[in-house]
Amino acid sequence: MGSLLEVQGLFRRFGGLIAVADVSFAVEKGQIFGIIGPNGAGKTTLFNVIAGHYRPSAGTVTFDGRDISGHSSDGVARQGIARTFQAVQVFGKHTAAENLRRGGVIRHGHNPFAYFTRDARIREGGADLNEVARFVGVSDCLGSTAGSLAYGLQKLLGIGMAMMVSPKLLLMDEPAAGLNPSEKKAAAVLIRRLRDELGITILLVEHDMPLVMGICDRILVINRGKQIALGAPAEVKADKAVIEAYLGEDYEFA
Amino acid sequence: MIEQIFVNGVLASLIYVIMALGFTLIFGIMRIVNFAHGEFYMIGAVIVLFFFGTLGWPFFIAVAAGGMVSAILGVVVERVLFRPLVGDELSGMIMSLAVGIILQSVVLIAIGPAEQSAARPFTGTWHLFGAVVPWDRTVVALCALATLAVFYLFLKFSRLGLAMQAVAQDPQTASLMGIESGVVYAAAFGIAGLLAGLAGGLMAPIYTVGPYMGELPMLKAFVVVILGGLGSIPGAVMGGLLIGLSESVLTTFLDSTAALIASFVIVLLVVVTRPTGLMGKSVR
Amino acid sequence: MKPVHVFLVVAALALLPWGLQSEYVFHIVTMIAIMVPMALSMNLMLKIGQLSLAQPAFMGIGAYGSVLLTMRLGVPPVLALCLGAVFSALTAVIVGPVFLRIKGVYFVLLTYAFGQIVNLVFQEWTSLFGGNGGLYGIPKFSIFGLRLAAVQQYYVFGLLFTAFTYAAMRAIERSDIGALFQSLNENEMLSRSIGSNALAWRIAAFTFSAFIAGISGAIYAFYLGFLSPDAFGFRLSVDLIVINAIGGATSVLGPLLGSILVVPLPEVLRDARQYQLLIYGLCLMIFLIFMRKGLVSLIQHHLRTA
Repeated sequence: MGSLLEVQGLFRRFGGLIAVADVSFAVEKGQIFGIIGPNGAGKTTLFNVIAGHYRPSAGTVTFDGRDISGHSSDGVARQGIARTFQAVQVFGKHTAAENLRRGGVIRHGHNPFAYFTRDARIREGGADLNEVARFVGVSDCLGSTAGSLAYGLQKLLGIGMAMMVSPKLLLMDEPAAGLNPSEKKAAAVLIRRLRDELGITILLVEHDMPLVMGICDRILVINRGKQIALGAPAEVKADKAVIEAYLGEDYEFA
Repeated sequence: MIEQIFVNGVLASLIYVIMALGFTLIFGIMRIVNFAHGEFYMIGAVIVLFFFGTLGWPFFIAVAAGGMVSAILGVVVERVLFRPLVGDELSGMIMSLAVGIILQSVVLIAIGPAEQSAARPFTGTWHLFGAVVPWDRTVVALCALATLAVFYLFLKFSRLGLAMQAVAQDPQTASLMGIESGVVYAAAFGIAGLLAGLAGGLMAPIYTVGPYMGELPMLKAFVVVILGGLGSIPGAVMGGLLIGLSESVLTTFLDSTAALIASFVIVLLVVVTRPTGLMGKSVR
Repeated sequence: MKPVHVFLVVAALALLPWGLQSEYVFHIVTMIAIMVPMALSMNLMLKIGQLSLAQPAFMGIGAYGSVLLTMRLGVPPVLALCLGAVFSALTAVIVGPVFLRIKGVYFVLLTYAFGQIVNLVFQEWTSLFGGNGGLYGIPKFSIFGLRLAAVQQYYVFGLLFTAFTYAAMRAIERSDIGALFQSLNENEMLSRSIGSNALAWRIAAFTFSAFIAGISGAIYAFYLGFLSPDAFGFRLSVDLIVINAIGGATSVLGPLLGSILVVPLPEVLRDARQYQLLIYGLCLMIFLIFMRKGLVSLIQHHLRTA
């Protein structure tokens, strides 16, 4: 049985700058997969190519057997891939509940044809909203304006919105960014639960080593656009090339 | 035949280049699409109509006066109306619509809607490789070339010119280097007004003068600038030549409206495939 | 003032002409009734964050299209009106996928160029459209055997269409579609990440706005009995901008109020037409200086994403 996500020979150029050079890896269903690397290594670019913000300059991205290289960001979402943003994105002027509700657009209104031919599946939308809210922990603030929520809660709301897409794969862009230590612990627990209880495969880009080493099944290390290591956390931690890449950086391998 | 088409095209394109330069200068530096650009042209023409046609001043003095009035108008309008809108492209565009409408209506009230003719300062023609070249258009062309030369020297060698280029390329760095953006903005509008006013004044005797005469040159400037690239000076020159020549060809074989349609189709194609135009820099 | 009150006032104003019994007043209100859907059509585009200068072109296509079908091919006016609007919608569906990938200032310029082209074609193709001289002899509109000859009848016709368009726009605004447009406007990146097909919805909005403009054009044509290209030029775009600016573009009511205020101006100032232009410009300028938010807040967002 094939991997859920397969990246083959991926390149991404911006003019003369090669941001991602010949990266290949596979993410199996049910894995928590991490991408790490020093600053400016190309992690975010790689992430954004998979998420549909950039076309690959070369190479392919295959999801669930389908070639999705070059699909737009909304096209990728409709395939069953959701994402969260590093700098949290919510509809600030609306309530948390409305934000989650909008996340359900994919089920009944993502394009005009779908909207006007929608069927009874929409009715299910209501139940999901409260379940999702409970799962991520924003049930208490459903009535609050999203923009006024604390940063940590906004991040949870962002995860909730991604969940409304009913994704098979969740891309998380620095889920721990901006969180305090206890929030980070909670985030790690939530990510595990997403996989353990809901069966969502996770691909995350992160800087926080303890988090990555703690929850990821497999890790890809990128430096200067090239992949320098791929394997289980223990292997990667001990890899010479990885240690060299991080030399001079203040990282603690937990 | 070909020579005539070519000569007509070049003569027309010089004026288009001058109009385009002002238009692109304002966009490049302030990111404002100046829909009132044609009205600065019109004001220059009206000044010439009055001072040369009615009062009998020497032609070139009247043209210079037209340029000056438009220049001053440009500076005033920039300082009072456009400066608060820098960066807000949409508001800037709509404000320019308002300014254009107001200028048109003021002139309309002053001289009425009818188109008027100024006396012709130069008559007669001469021959160039078998093409007939009217003297008045020759004078316009020579003045246009002179203006272009002065403009080029200004941009490349004067402090203000270099400052303008800097602000057009990177406003933040420019201000970090101590360039006062306000002066540059005023200069952009002033120079654009000057160029348009001079163009209008020079062209006053050639066609007729009326409150709405600026609309067509504005359209032409718009097309040229899109083709050459919003904000690009070399683009304005190249675009001007291309549009002038192609228009000459089309007008000869079809008619002027067809030529205009073709020009706008070019605009469509350019914006859709390569919005930065032939030579524009990337907007990002 | 509660919306209900506003509605009552508008309804009263709508009925006023019968109290005044003046043909002239009926003419003005008929023109208002034709303009409101046009203003709403531009407003719909503003709601998805785009300033479209193509609406007059769509109006013209609907106008010339329906009229030519009736005059040259003997198509019954009701069908011709619908087909004219369909032509407009088809045009939008064809150019939409191309145009709507472009945002900000460049989209405005694109629709500007498109509008100019359509208008110039109306001027140039004299054998079909009558050119600058105008297309005369448009027959009166008839529906199921009832021939509309009097201005009062066209006013009712216009009113009905205005009511329909207003209701439709209101329904859109309050529905999931409206929420979706808002989402796209507020945060496109986020909307797309949850699966909204931004392009498809923009095309849908563009097409619907073109359809509305097309019907307005057809009503206009049958009412006036005569068509000339300069009714569908850039001037009309400026009018629509002024209407949306003054009325306020954030709600559906804005274009309605704006039209009521702005459309009669040229008629009221008939003797001093040059002053009408001046007042227009000054109103627009004052609005931009003091109340930019009304029109621009909807679109500010998107100007850096060209």
